[in-house]
Amino acid sequence: MRSQAYKLLVLDDSFLMQTVRNAFYFVCGMCALFLLWSWVSHATLNEIPGVAKTWEVFKALYADAFYFNPENAADEGIGWKLWDSIQRVLLGFTLGTIVAVPLGMIMGSNKMLMNILNPVVQILRPVSPLVWFILGQIALKSSPGALIFMIFITSLWPTLINTSFGVASIPDDHKNVGKAFGFSTWKYVTKIAIPFAMPHIITGLRLSIGIAWMVIFAGEMLSGDSGIGSFAWESYNGGNYENILSALLIIGFVGVMLDKGFSALQQSFAYDKK
Amino acid sequence: METKVLNNATVDMQNVDIKPSIIIDNVSVTFDTAKGEYTAIKNISLNIKKGEIVSLIGHSGCGKSTLMNTISGMVIPTSGSVVANGNVVKGPGPDRGIVFQNYSLLPWLSVYQNIFQAVDSVMKGKSKEEKKELVLKNLEMVNLMAHKDKNPNQLSGGMKQRVAIARAFAINPSILLLDEPFGALDALTKSSMHVELLKLWNLDNRNKTIVMVTHDIDEAIFLSDRVVVMNNGPAATIKEIVDVKIVRPRNKKDITHDPLYIETKERLTGLLFDKFSIND
Ligand SMILES: Nc1ncnc2c1ncn2[C@@H]1O[C@H](COP(=O)(O)OP(=O)(O)OP(=O)(O)O)[C@@H](O)[C@H]1O
Ligand SMILES: [Mg+2]
Repeated sequence: MRSQAYKLLVLDDSFLMQTVRNAFYFVCGMCALFLLWSWVSHATLNEIPGVAKTWEVFKALYADAFYFNPENAADEGIGWKLWDSIQRVLLGFTLGTIVAVPLGMIMGSNKMLMNILNPVVQILRPVSPLVWFILGQIALKSSPGALIFMIFITSLWPTLINTSFGVASIPDDHKNVGKAFGFSTWKYVTKIAIPFAMPHIITGLRLSIGIAWMVIFAGEMLSGDSGIGSFAWESYNGGNYENILSALLIIGFVGVMLDKGFSALQQSFAYDKK
Repeated sequence: METKVLNNATVDMQNVDIKPSIIIDNVSVTFDTAKGEYTAIKNISLNIKKGEIVSLIGHSGCGKSTLMNTISGMVIPTSGSVVANGNVVKGPGPDRGIVFQNYSLLPWLSVYQNIFQAVDSVMKGKSKEEKKELVLKNLEMVNLMAHKDKNPNQLSGGMKQRVAIARAFAINPSILLLDEPFGALDALTKSSMHVELLKLWNLDNRNKTIVMVTHDIDEAIFLSDRVVVMNNGPAATIKEIVDVKIVRPRNKKDITHDPLYIETKERLTGLLFDKFSIND
């Protein structure tokens, strides 16, 4: 008992030390960032607002985050704008996932389909998200629709590629189990293919949501439809550069949160490390 | 009177009708490797009767697993053919239960689930309760009840092997293919697994055909009706087939004193080690 308690204590201690160390590194990184920022601000003769000025504006934005004007829908707090962007990203990302995962699994399990679809994917993948936005606008005649379409397309590729790679690399040992015990296609997919490919699929999702979140900003700047991107664009036109930097910080923070979420999901599916 | 005669006739018919369970006909297997073609086994023919227990022995890398895999359908012969249960083997199937040399458990499923999924897939007519019972019964047999919720990576090599055995037994196949099934087990566990294997075989009125790869001569003699000794590769062939005439049921302790046993063991040892001079 005593030795166990002792062990726990040591474990706790090292865990604590680790947390402290990580917090220290984080602070160091942030300091470096703020220093660089201050320098840029100084070098541009404060055209790019400095840390202190931005912080003031950020605080004001934060205080009114969920303000809204019932008379004017466009007149709303930064929280609502952010929520608009998040909703678009989640919707587009979900649609992308619904298409990319099954398609990736089919591609991964069928060599012929892989050979047919792979060049198509390779050609479409590098196309700028803004091109998809424009095409969406032309086809759907709705800019919110076009935004979601853009997110849908851009969050397709990483998931598709990673899923198909995961499924294509299922070892013969696992496939043989399915063969030897006469697994139905359904059982093979749910008990062998998906569990094996899961870490790859989640890696794909993690990359996809990262790209989607990066791209929404530009899309909204172009479309002018609410959201954090159009907020930045309006601020630019109005000369409120502190707003842009505040938006940048918010985008960064939400991006980290999304990534952390998927990273946690990834951990929970790492069956071989359990 | 008439019925009785008829019955006898049917029985006789069945006896006459006994077909070989496995027909290996002039099978060769050539692998394409980076360094060119490699012929693992060449022109092997072997008939195995229904209900027979046959062991394959030979030096490591001679092609035992390859020959075994042509029966399981994991390897398709480059030439020749294998017929199992009256059908040409074109791929694996649940009529041939396999214990893979490397266990082949699914790492994301628990011990219980690894067996259950196989049972669920093969025993389509059974209810969920019956399947569950079957899984538990087989887990009991390999003495793994306490570990049924563990994942394979939490098991020792011998435990994994027992899960693989339970899985193959649970689907009750007419042909059991065991590739070094007891290799990772200690002598005691091994003995009890031998008993379980024979129990299973007796339970089914000795109708199950069992083919087993082993490196253990004692094990081969204790369990088998025939021991197939293979030559070294490449292009390995059957060197000799040794009949084990010791009557069943065999007793593990007494058998070692049986003159037939001693003779068979000497024969097999001679066949396996004739290349080396054993002076010491
Ligand atoms: N898929 C493969 N591709 C190429 N060569 C192979 C393949 N499988 C087996 N071989 C070769 O065939 C030969 C026989 O292999 P096999 O696995 O049948 O041996 P084994 O008798 O089962 O050996 P062990 O007792 O060590 O399990 C070996 O030389 C091996 O390298
Ligand atoms: Mg082998």
